[in-house]
Parts: sequence; C-alpha cells; structure tokens
Amino acid sequence: MRVLVVEDEKKTASFVRKALQAENFAVDSLANGADALTAAAGTSFDAIILDIMLPGRDGLSVLRQLRERKDPTPVLLLSARGEVNERVEGLNAGADDYLPKPFELAELVARVRALTRRGGENKSTVLRVADLTLDTLTHRAQRGGTTIELTAREYRLLEFLMRSAGRLCGRMMILEKVWDYDFDPGTNLVDVYVRRLREKIDAEFEPKLLQTVRGAGYVLKAAP
Amino acid sequence: MTLRKRLTLWYAGILIASLLVIGVGTYREIDEQLRHAHRRAPEERAISETGEMVFQVGLPAILLGLLGGGWLTRKALEPVKELTDAIRKTHEHNLRDPLPRTHNGDELDRLANVFNDTLARLDDSFNRIREFTLHASHELKTPLTILRGETEMALRDESLSPAERERAGSQLDELHRLTRIVDGLTLLARADAGQIPLKLEPVRLDEQVRDNFADAQILAEPHGIRVELENCEEITVRGDRHRLRQLLLNLADNAVKYNQPEGRVTTDLRRVDGMAEFTMVNTGAGIPLEILPRVFDRFFRGDPAHENKIEGCGLGLSIAQWIISAHGGTIQIQSTPSKTTTVIVRLPLDPAANQPA
Repeated sequence: MRVLVVEDEKKTASFVRKALQAENFAVDSLANGADALTAAAGTSFDAIILDIMLPGRDGLSVLRQLRERKDPTPVLLLSARGEVNERVEGLNAGADDYLPKPFELAELVARVRALTRRGGENKSTVLRVADLTLDTLTHRAQRGGTTIELTAREYRLLEFLMRSAGRLCGRMMILEKVWDYDFDPGTNLVDVYVRRLREKIDAEFEPKLLQTVRGAGYVLKAAP
Repeated sequence: MTLRKRLTLWYAGILIASLLVIGVGTYREIDEQLRHAHRRAPEERAISETGEMVFQVGLPAILLGLLGGGWLTRKALEPVKELTDAIRKTHEHNLRDPLPRTHNGDELDRLANVFNDTLARLDDSFNRIREFTLHASHELKTPLTILRGETEMALRDESLSPAERERAGSQLDELHRLTRIVDGLTLLARADAGQIPLKLEPVRLDEQVRDNFADAQILAEPHGIRVELENCEEITVRGDRHRLRQLLLNLADNAVKYNQPEGRVTTDLRRVDGMAEFTMVNTGAGIPLEILPRVFDRFFRGDPAHENKIEGCGLGLSIAQWIISAHGGTIQIQSTPSKTTTVIVRLPLDPAANQPA
C-alpha cells in the first residue's frame, strides 16, 4: 500500500510518515500542493493524506483539481483550523475523510487503513480472538465455553475492539465509534468501561487479551 | 439648533403667553373700571380691584406658567429618557446596534453620537479579544499536533525503560489536557463570534438523559457514588443532539468530580411551566454563595484547594452555559455549602412535537 502525505509542516510530516511506515505502508511525502498534483498524476497511490493549509495552492483546491481529473484516490484531509463547515466543505469537494489536528496517531493510521481497505472487512457474524467469541447476531459473548453477560454499551465496545483485533484503538476513536461522540469530553469514560469489560473477559481467564498501551489506547489481541 | 436655544425659545413662548393672559385680563379689568367708575368709593375699589386682578389675571397666568414649565421639563427630558432606555438595552452582544439619533445637532444628539463612538470602540475591543483567542488557539494547534505525535511515537519505542515510559505517558496525558483546553477555547471563541451553527432537529431529551444516566453510573462507580434517576418524562426538544449530549455528560462529570466519596447524584427530567426542566443534585462540598455567580466564568476555579485535586479544562461550565443559551434555555446553580449543589437546566420544548401537556 502506497500513501502520499502532503504536509508542509516538516515535523508533522515526519511522524506521520514514521507511524504509517511502522504499519507497513510505503510513504511518499511532499510539502506543497503543486508537487502533490504532479506526483498524483504520475503515480497511483492507495490514499492521499492532504493538509488543508498548504503554502500556495491549498489542500481543498488540490482536492478539487484531483476530482476534476477524475482521480478516485481516497483522500483524508487534515486541518488545524477545525472550522465547523470545513468538514462539510471538504467532503463536498470530494474528500473521503477529515481529521482535525491535533489527532491521535492510532486514529490517523486506522482511518488510512479504512480508506485503503478494498472490501477486506470481516463479514463473518461470529468474531473470534483466541478463545473469546462474539456473535454479532445474538450479541452473545463467550470465553472458554462460559457465557459473558454484557450491557449494550459493553457489547458495542467489545464488538469494536474485536473488529479491530490486533490493532491499536485510541480513546478518541473509541468515543466516536462506541459513544458517537465527536468531541473529547475530558472524562475517563472509556477507561472505566474498558476496565469493566476487562473484568468480564479477562479477569478469570488466561491469557489476558485486552491490553493498555500507555498514552495511546487499547488493543485486543491473542498473542502478548 | 442646540437644546439650550430650543428650550430658551420655548420658555420665551410660555412667558409671552403668560404676559398675553395678564395683558388681556388687565385690559378687561381696566375697561370695566372705566365704565362703572362712579358706582363705588375709590378706596374700596382699589382693594377689591386688586383682589380681582390677582385672582382673574395673575392666577391664570401663574397656572399657565406652571403647566408650561412642567410640559417644558418633560419635553426637555424626554430625549434623555429615550437615551437612557437605549443605553440600558446595550450589552456585550449588541454593541453593533447604535443608539437612535435625531441628527438635529443638539447636545443630546451629540451625546448619542459620542456614546455610539464609544460603543464602536468597545465592540472593536471585544472583537479583538475574540479574534485573539481564536488565533491563539489556532496557533497552538500546530505545535500541539507535533508534540502529541512525537510523544506518541516515542511511546511506541520498545526500548524505553518503564520510568521513561511513565514520563512520556504523563506528558501525553498533559498534552491531551492542553488539547481539550485549546479545543474549548476555540469552541467558545467561535460561539462568541456566532460562528457555530446548531444542527437543530427534534431530540428526545428523555432518551439522552437515560443514556447519560448510564454513563454517569459508570463514571461514579469507582468513587462509590450512587447515581439515581427520579423522573424521566417523555420530552422532545428542538436541539443539536451532539451538543445536548456534550452538555449532559459535562454536568454528570462535574457532579461526580465535585462529589464526596460514597456521595449521591440525583437526576430528574420533567415538564415545568411549558419547559423541559432537567435537574442534577450532587452531595459534594458545595459552592460558597459569594462565588456562585462566577462559576460560569472561563477558567474560574472557586476553591483553590481543589485546583490540584480535580483536573479539568476549566471551561466545562462556560461551554455548558453556551450550549444552553444557544438552545434558548437557562441554567441555574443553587448550592447549600457542605450539603448539596443543584444544577437546574430549562430548555424550551419542541413546538412541533405532539407532546402531552
């Protein structure tokens, strides 16, 4: 998978590149819109990460030009302005996603992965991580043959974690997917829920599946 | 023409009218005297005629002067009253609406003009502060993005020692807090500038309150705080779903944070006087009466002792207040120190929804 990062702020471009490379993406990095248009014309990228505030030609105008050329490459817009209408404006201009700065690296990576995924979604109705299973039709969770009672919210949390099994899930991502919050409420809601879920799926079992990644979020995975 | 000139002319008019009354009265008296001069003794005539003159000529003239004076005063003060009313209606958010002017160049018109200039300058200062806040929060976002990204990358380094990991993790926690502060400031600065449109739709407030109740229970559990939901009447308001959820979570979070261990949080939603009334009572230390009016101020912290114990962005209640007033509602906080604190939120009902009265 090859991703183009268009960001004029060098340090931001650098850690975004490193984070994506760590997830096995090939990353090209450019600092202005004109170069980005040239590069996109010559190379087929799987996704483009495009900062809105670029010197010269801004991100939105680059995006419009791409879409005018009938270039279908998925585009994730980044913006420090966080204007309320900017997301709508960006999506109308043909963006596939929008992420306001500052963002969680885990969230950026997850979104890029979602953009580059070509129908790879797990379609099975029973999710499985090690000996933990979750039936998405009956909402039944089991581990090692024992049925685990979940509240509706715990179910949504577990389903989300199991669908992203093996991958880091940031707090903001969890808030957005499980609570439908598009703001950081500044509470420890996610941590408290994860703790409760851990009680139910991990306390009496080995190995422990739900792990905390300090400062980054949580990951549900079979191997430690 | 100046007000002084105008009033002087009017006053002269009243004096002339009084003089006319005296003149006409005196003329008629004297005329009568000359016709009937022979009927009475001269000394008796002088006394009675003087009396008649005073009553029939002087009194009407004085009365005219008094009425005229009263009318004149009212007329002189009327523009002052209008100006006072207009000034009284001036507040932070309508500084751009100037006072009405007569443009006749008198003292009061000049006063209105000076006042309008002052308002414009005040409005300008307010705008500058808003713009400053907005720009400051934007400028902070780029370094924050870098700091957060680099710290997150550092934490991914497998070779970090536990102590280094702890330090970087703690830094990241503070960066998250800083992000919330900057986001809060951006939100309020935009709200001040009227740049945040609400996505209004019918929202079942009772469902939001129930959802929030579940979240509040989870937040309260680690502190042994009991959360109760008393009434939860079916109520539809017209509002922005996300903002209302943000509001409720914000209040629940405060009710838990400022509570005491093993305390209680009681929530209630009902219809009162054609409004949705949501109350949340907590059994925390309460808020001293003298600082109660200031709790909605940005970054205001009532109890310095709390400053280190309770972390927050210091903007929660300001944001809550904005959300409520943007929905045409009100928020009120009552507190009995060391007993309970009650937050009362009133929101208008959705007029289109068919709701039981």
